[in-house]
Amino acid sequence: MIRNYLKTAWRNILGNKFYASINVAGLTVGLVVGMFMLLWVQDELSYDKFNSKADNIYKIDIVGGTGISKQIFNNIIAPVATFAKNEVPQVQDAVRIMPVGNAPFRYKDKVFYEDNFAFADPSYFTVFDFNLIKGDKRNPFPDNNSVVITEEMAAKYFGTEDPIGKVVTLGQDEQLKVTGVIPNYPENSSFKYRILMPLSRFNDLAYIKNKKTYDNKTFISSIDADWSMFGFQTYLLLKPGTKVDVTALEKKLQAIHERNKPEDAPVPYLTQPLLKMHLYQADGTDGGFSTVRTFGIVALMILVIACINYVNLSTARSMLRAKEVSMRKIIGAGKLQLFIQFMAETTLLFAIAAIFAFALMFVLLPYYNQFSGKELSLGLSNYNIWACIGLTLLGTLTASSIYPSLLLSSFEPLKALKGRVTIGIGNAAFRRVLVVLQFSVSIVLIIGTLIIGGQLKYIREKNLGYDKENVLSFSMRNGMIPHYDVIKNELQKNPAVLGVTRAGRDIITGGSSTGDNDWDGKPANSNMWFNQVYADKDLIGFFKMNIKEGAGFTGAVADSSHFIINETAVKEMGLTNPIGKRLRVQTVNGTIIGVVKDFHFTTIHHKIEPAVFQYKPNDCWKVYIKTTGAGAQSAIASALAVWKQYNNDVPFNYTFLDDSFKKLYTDDQRTGSLFNIFSAIAIVISCLGLFGLATYSAQVKTREIGIRKVLGASVSRIIGLLATEFMVLIVIAIVIAVPVGWYAMNAWLQDFAYKVNITWVVFVLAGGGATLIALATISIQSVKAAIANPVKSLKNGE
Amino acid sequence: MIKITNLEKFYRTEEVETIALNKLSMEVNTGEFVAIMGPSGCGKSTLLNILGMLDDPDAGSYVFNGVEIAHFNERKRADLRKHNIGFVFQSFNLIDELTVFENVELPLIYTGVSSADRVKRVEEVLDKMQIMHRRNHYPQQLSGGQQQRVAIARAVVNKPKLILADEPTGNLDSSNGNDVMELLTDLNEQGTTIIMVTHSEHDARYSHRIIRLLDGQTVMENIMV
Repeated sequence: MIRNYLKTAWRNILGNKFYASINVAGLTVGLVVGMFMLLWVQDELSYDKFNSKADNIYKIDIVGGTGISKQIFNNIIAPVATFAKNEVPQVQDAVRIMPVGNAPFRYKDKVFYEDNFAFADPSYFTVFDFNLIKGDKRNPFPDNNSVVITEEMAAKYFGTEDPIGKVVTLGQDEQLKVTGVIPNYPENSSFKYRILMPLSRFNDLAYIKNKKTYDNKTFISSIDADWSMFGFQTYLLLKPGTKVDVTALEKKLQAIHERNKPEDAPVPYLTQPLLKMHLYQADGTDGGFSTVRTFGIVALMILVIACINYVNLSTARSMLRAKEVSMRKIIGAGKLQLFIQFMAETTLLFAIAAIFAFALMFVLLPYYNQFSGKELSLGLSNYNIWACIGLTLLGTLTASSIYPSLLLSSFEPLKALKGRVTIGIGNAAFRRVLVVLQFSVSIVLIIGTLIIGGQLKYIREKNLGYDKENVLSFSMRNGMIPHYDVIKNELQKNPAVLGVTRAGRDIITGGSSTGDNDWDGKPANSNMWFNQVYADKDLIGFFKMNIKEGAGFTGAVADSSHFIINETAVKEMGLTNPIGKRLRVQTVNGTIIGVVKDFHFTTIHHKIEPAVFQYKPNDCWKVYIKTTGAGAQSAIASALAVWKQYNNDVPFNYTFLDDSFKKLYTDDQRTGSLFNIFSAIAIVISCLGLFGLATYSAQVKTREIGIRKVLGASVSRIIGLLATEFMVLIVIAIVIAVPVGWYAMNAWLQDFAYKVNITWVVFVLAGGGATLIALATISIQSVKAAIANPVKSLKNGE
Repeated sequence: MIKITNLEKFYRTEEVETIALNKLSMEVNTGEFVAIMGPSGCGKSTLLNILGMLDDPDAGSYVFNGVEIAHFNERKRADLRKHNIGFVFQSFNLIDELTVFENVELPLIYTGVSSADRVKRVEEVLDKMQIMHRRNHYPQQLSGGQQQRVAIARAVVNKPKLILADEPTGNLDSSNGNDVMELLTDLNEQGTTIIMVTHSEHDARYSHRIIRLLDGQTVMENIMV
């Protein structure tokens, strides 16, 4: 029986190659895009889940500042973890991680710049599922010179040799011995530290060998006594089975902090479940989840559009199959048998589409990965991926097969045989609803594309308040900082170098901030934080920032107690005449000598925060070189030459501000590009369906068109007749899509502190574009039908 | 075999009610070959559809093989139909996507005959209808006469007790038409009851009895000699 069904189904497909190809093409494209997107969503939702204790791990953050300067510190002070472990019964273990910037890492003649360095507690390997595969699991760091690396690093530096016991050099001359190897991190791990050193090593370096002090009087005895250094990601493993009262835990941590450092009070603590870390901010606000949700919804929409195509085409064509169905019924087919037959047909068509879709996915996967920044693979062992794909296929198949099958199997044979298929009318209305739905979705996606595109353009072209064009930067290493003046002179000998300056922070990605400040008239309840910019005297001029009031630094000795603040700081501090006012930042007591116009020192997702420039040339480690587009290579060569004089054996690492700036918006750019593709595909699939329906409609109306032509209708009137039917649907779709699109995109823009306005132009473009595309699609068939010879039409239409 | 009494059937649209069958009564015995004639719109197709259990009457009684079926629901009628009745249509109504063999095989599939039996029986029938050589062709590749022979083969493959033929020669030339009538006569002689609707006096002469309808009522019965 099934063989018979499949045979009929196969012949039906072969006999109607046109519809079959439209159906298969629509389904294939829909499945590929839908599955790719759902895989992306699934991957995003799976972050850190591989940790077997994930449910009991919480990240600890501190809230600092008030008002506009309120911020959440992901890196907190070190002792709170130790105290929590000792004092809070529900805390079973704690992990502190102190990420460090990049540094050269060397084994014999192999030397590379490595980022993803960190100091960590040994509990890192047991609280998370990062178990040692080589080395002593119970004691990953036997001493302070131990280092644990990933398999990948082991292979990179030692090849096939046993990494355990190998001595490597970090930076200038720090000798470390490899004592453990952990597996490479899963792609969906939030932690990617490839080189891990014991936190006790940092303790040793900073507190014992180098006597850390904040006021040049008292020395801090150890990391666990330092209540001022915000530098440690802290995770608590809670005892399993305990019901977690997060608020109580946060209060306990706050109490520990305030008891040990009363002047910080109030210092609210936040806890965040490990599993929420990837998609949410510490305070529970969105940190990517809305994008994931949007993509999930768009994926489903695209699959729905593909299903609608199938349903529309197959129900439209069902009238042409009425005779066959009736005969089967008269001969003795039951409703169920017919239902199964049509299900079999859909399944067969689906199988073909699925095979094409898989083939395409395999081919496109590398490009998709590059594009989406993922490392997805379609390995057979990847259970989650196949579950996701299987569910998608099953869901889509069910959605598109049941209605047409029910419809076809419920024909009343007599009426169908006589060509009086009464379901025709209601059924056509249903198809119209589906077409409207398809186009509504497509138009919403076009609106999304236009607005995202507009916002991205806005980001690119927004005046940031400083000049980032053709600026090259590199970090000075220890030996270089005292020789900065020599270096600067050397660099300026090259005519391609237009200017050189230095700063104590990365101008684009930000740096340290402090709440330890005071000024005349500071309100008692104010807890304002400053972003600190350590600057050389020429920094402000170099970046073409505008001094609004007062003056810049001159390099005089007095400048060390001078401050330049930004407009936001003036406003937040409540100052009217800031110049000459007293200001204390940490241990420096001085006066405000200038106000600089606001500039964006982080992404424009965030509002501009208060900032303070301090003249601290000796704390400036970052060199900025202004060059020209044409002179860039020459400037790089000069910088490299200077670098080599001080670090012959360490590779030179530089970045252009433009590139770093672009990196800040990688995610936004990605969202933009993905949306471009999605809406293009949604439109293509919708048009495929529309094309099929228009073809069908022209076929069914062949006779009507013939009669009209005999009676004198012109070609243009007939095209109008056919096109109007569909254009009405497109107009309804526009009416539905505009408010939906506005609402959705308005919500998306809320994530930006600075954003474009949504104007009516977007909606006119989206609606007009969709109308034109649809009209073009319909016209192909309408024109063909309209210019056909009426004699022939009448004969065939009988 | 068939006894209908006071059978009524109406067609309603919003404004008009048309009486298709008006208290019609008739009887057909097993082994008979009956022709139903009458002008267009007299109700002959409606009658045939009710007799074939494709449609149900609005009133009256229909006894088939001693069982009252006027009140049967669609499923029960369909079940009774597929085991007892074969249909032959003016426009053949073969399924275009299936070959000659597969078209004839279809009723056997729906009544659940095993695959081996199906092949045997289909071949038997095709042989009898002299279209064995066309078994792998599709309907469009056949002439009208051949298509109607396939349709008849499909109607008889399940060995029905009753064949209902709706103007079986209407789309055929006279020579092919005569062949079809000969085939029906043969089937009747082998014991199958046949009821045929026709416009053709010539075809009607093959039957034992002609029932003439007008406005949904029997107006005359001719017994053929």
